[in-house]
Formats: sequence, structure tokens, C-alpha cells
Amino acid sequence: MTTNSRPTNQKDRNKPAFISWWNHVNTAMSFSLRRLWFNPISTWITLAAIAIALSLPTGLHLFLKNLQTLTDDQRQIPTVSLFLHEGVTEQQAQDRADLISELDGVTKVIVQNSEVAFAHMSELMGGKETLESLGKQNIFPHVLVVTPDLSLSDERHIPIQELIKTLKSYPEVKSAQSDIEWVVKLRAIIMIATRIVWVFGSLLGLTVLLVVGNTIRLDIENRKEEIDVTRFIGGTRAYIRRPFIFGGLWYGLFGGIISLVVVHTSLLFLIPPVDKLAKLYSSHFTLSGLDFTTTFYILIISCSLGVLGAWVAVSRHLRKQEVIL
Amino acid sequence: MIQFQNVSKQYPTGQLALYNINLALTTGEMAFLTGHSGAGKSTLLKLIAMLERPNQGEIIVNGQSINRIKQRQIPNFRRHIGMIFQNHHLLMDRSVFENIALPLRISGLHHRDIRRRVQASLDKVSLLNKQKANPMMLSAGEQQRVGIARAVVNKPTIILADEPTGNLDPELAEDIMRTFQQFNELGATVLIASHDHSLIERMKKRIIVLQKIIH
Repeated sequence: MTTNSRPTNQKDRNKPAFISWWNHVNTAMSFSLRRLWFNPISTWITLAAIAIALSLPTGLHLFLKNLQTLTDDQRQIPTVSLFLHEGVTEQQAQDRADLISELDGVTKVIVQNSEVAFAHMSELMGGKETLESLGKQNIFPHVLVVTPDLSLSDERHIPIQELIKTLKSYPEVKSAQSDIEWVVKLRAIIMIATRIVWVFGSLLGLTVLLVVGNTIRLDIENRKEEIDVTRFIGGTRAYIRRPFIFGGLWYGLFGGIISLVVVHTSLLFLIPPVDKLAKLYSSHFTLSGLDFTTTFYILIISCSLGVLGAWVAVSRHLRKQEVIL
Repeated sequence: MIQFQNVSKQYPTGQLALYNINLALTTGEMAFLTGHSGAGKSTLLKLIAMLERPNQGEIIVNGQSINRIKQRQIPNFRRHIGMIFQNHHLLMDRSVFENIALPLRISGLHHRDIRRRVQASLDKVSLLNKQKANPMMLSAGEQQRVGIARAVVNKPTIILADEPTGNLDPELAEDIMRTFQQFNELGATVLIASHDHSLIERMKKRIIVLQKIIH
């Protein structure tokens, strides 16, 4: 079966139990791999079913994760802009900003100087002269851009409304404009979608379990005689079970890897149009793939499902009867 | 070595296969088990290999009462017994070598030792040149010899054979019996169930006759 030679060192010679266990595992691993390799059609069908079942929840998870980064604090999207009265000096604006930043539920306050805003506007309009020719001097007030701490507002919507009310009540503030509303709504939607991903994930995880279980069950049916022969020449249950368990492990592992490839390929397919859309909103947003930890978890989950499915199938068979020869 | 004391076996279907059997085989003995079909020859061999459990009586194998062997000790117990069937139960999806290697793999041997012992075993049944062949490509006699090689590769102390020459022409049958004799001369206790009277009489060994149970 195995043709690679592995020298046994002196220390290992003293541990025959370990050696024989290791030889068993070695045989079971290579044997189960070869069975997959030499039954390519059934192997690929099973792997495809597992990969599809796994890539749906993985893809949804990735979609949600990207949607969440849209509302991340560091992207500065959920902000309240406070337009100050015209007479307010830069120093007063700065003082007010310092006070606001100490409030509960405020992460950050940025002062947008009216001069800077004017310069920016002029640039957009095609030069300072254009604006000045309209007979206007700087019409922009100072603006405070307040970034609230949205973690407070996830479940309860009210504190944010109260914060805005407080901010509006300051004498320097002429008006307030917020883009928080849609972020809060988006978060609520994401929360529902997360639950949906969980439901889908559980159902499709169960699908993987059933697919592997059924594949292994069919494999057992095909190898009934081999199992009986193994039993009557002294094979233990563990020995009989092992190659099937490894079979389940390979299905889980390879199915998981294929599903990751599927998800990342779809992602590559989506990146250009999303970047284009982001550009239209002058955002630096770009789709991100799965990080190492998530990849690792997905593989762990798929391997566990494979092993569990195989275990259930083979244990059911072994319980049934001893030898039928 | 093998001892039956008042052993009876009734199958769940109600069929009484063996009734009140008393029997003793000493270590290194070779004996034939004969009787009409349905007399319980196969059942008797299966009881020794613990493929069946008796309803009554005690069976002692290698000084150990097998009634007291627990379910999970059976695999280890069976490794000391080599069993051969009329339908040799070879695995057709792998080579002759792999079929014979199976008991050694179960024992967890290193593949170097497996190679050596499989080849030694094949040599004893004169099939060394067929180790890479598929059992399906072999003649009936050769298949049976592969079955024997698999049964003896683990150096069992007891060899049980159930109609090993059932499908073979007389010459091949005698050849197979001589092979068993060789293993017996090497020290194994051999018990062969057969209904080929002329053949077993020529072997000049002890013959145990099972009478058919009259209901």
C-alpha cells in the first residue's frame, strides 16, 4: 500500500503500541485518499455538493462583513455636521469642539475651518476668481463634524436622537445635519441578515453532514464484504472505522477548500464594479476577502462536519451486526 | 488446545445445529471434520473462531474458555486463528499481495515487515510470481491458495478450514490438503471440515464424524 519508507529510530522501537497505531493511521490515510482518487466521478460530485453548500453561507457572511465595514467608524460615514453661526470665531468653534468631544457617546469631533471649506469649494468651482466674481466673500460658516459612538445606538435608537438634540441646543450651533439615520437602519438590516446567515449556515451545514454521511454509507454498502473479512481476521472496530473517518475528513477538507476558492473567485468577479460604484461616491471602499482566522474556522467546521457525518454512518453500520459470513 | 464440553448451538431461527458436542484436539494435531451437509460442520468451526456463540456448554481454546472473552477482546483472539472458507472471501478490488497483507496491516506491522512476511507466505503456497495479480485472474485452486496464504501469514496457532477443496478437482484438492499438512508439521493445530471421504482417508489423520441431528 504505502511505498514510502520511514526509518524507525531506536526510541520508537521501544513503543510498539504507538508504532502499530501510527502504521494503522498511515495506512488508513493513504487508503482513504486513494479511494477518493480512483473514484473520481463520485468524489467530485460529493465535493461539489459540499462546496456549494459551504460557499453559500460563506459568501453571505463575506457580503455582510463588507456591508458592515461600510458603517465602520473609521470610514467616518456616520457623522453629525453642526453648522455654526456666522459670528462664531475659530477659537470658539475649537472650544465647543473640545467640550463636545468629552460628551458621552461621542468618538471624535473635527473642526472644519470656513477658510479651508471656501478654498475647497473654489477649487471645485474652477478657481477663486469665479466665486469672487459672483461678489461673494467667504459664505461658509465653521462646521463641527461629530462622529458618534454607534455601538451605543445599535439596540437603542433614542440616545443618538438625544445627542443630536443636545448638540442643536448649543448657542453656537445654527443647524445640524446628520447622516446617521440610514446607518442605523442599515445596521438593523444587517442584524436581521446576520440571523438569516446563521439560519442558512446551520441548514447548509446539516446538508454537508447528510451528504458526507450518505456518501460514506454507500461506501460501506459497497465494501460490506471487506468489512466482514476484516472482522473475521481480527480487525477491531476502530481499525474498520478509521479509513471511513479519514474519508469523511478528506471530503470536509477538500470541500471546504473548493468552497473557499469558489467564494474568492466570485469576489474577484465583483471587485471591479464595486470599486467603480465606490468611486462614484468618492469613497475608498473596496471589497475585502476572508481573513486568515475566518478561513481557518471555515476549514475546521467543514472538516468537523465531514468527520461527524462519517462517524454517524460507520457507527450505525458497526452496531448492526457482527460477521455475516 | 481445542476442547468442547457439552456444547449446543441453536440458531435464532430455531434450527438446532449442534447438540451436546464433546471433543478434544491436542496442540499440533491435524484432524478432519466430516458428516452430512447440515450436520453442523461449519457451525462447529464458527464457534471456535467466535463467529458464533454457543447456547450451551463450554469451549476452551488455547487454555482459555471462550465464553469469558468479551466482545472487544474478540479481534485479538481471532488473530491467533487462521480461517479458510470454501468461498475464499478474497477482496477482488486489490492485488494478491494486498489480500494477504490484510491481517498484518490489522496487526499494525511496518510495511517492510509486511512485505517480507507476505512473500514468505506466498512462497509456501507457491504463488510468489502472482503477488501483483488480481485474485479474479487466478484459477480456483490458486484463489484457494491465496486464501490459505492470508490465513497463515499471521502465524496462527490454529488453522480452521471449511470445505477448502469443495470447488477443486481431485488433484488440486490433494495438493491443498498437502499444503495444510505442511503447516501442521510446522506446529499449527489444523481442523478441516470436508465431505470428500476418499481424500481425507488418504491423508491418514484423525477423522471426526458429526451425526445429523434427528428431530
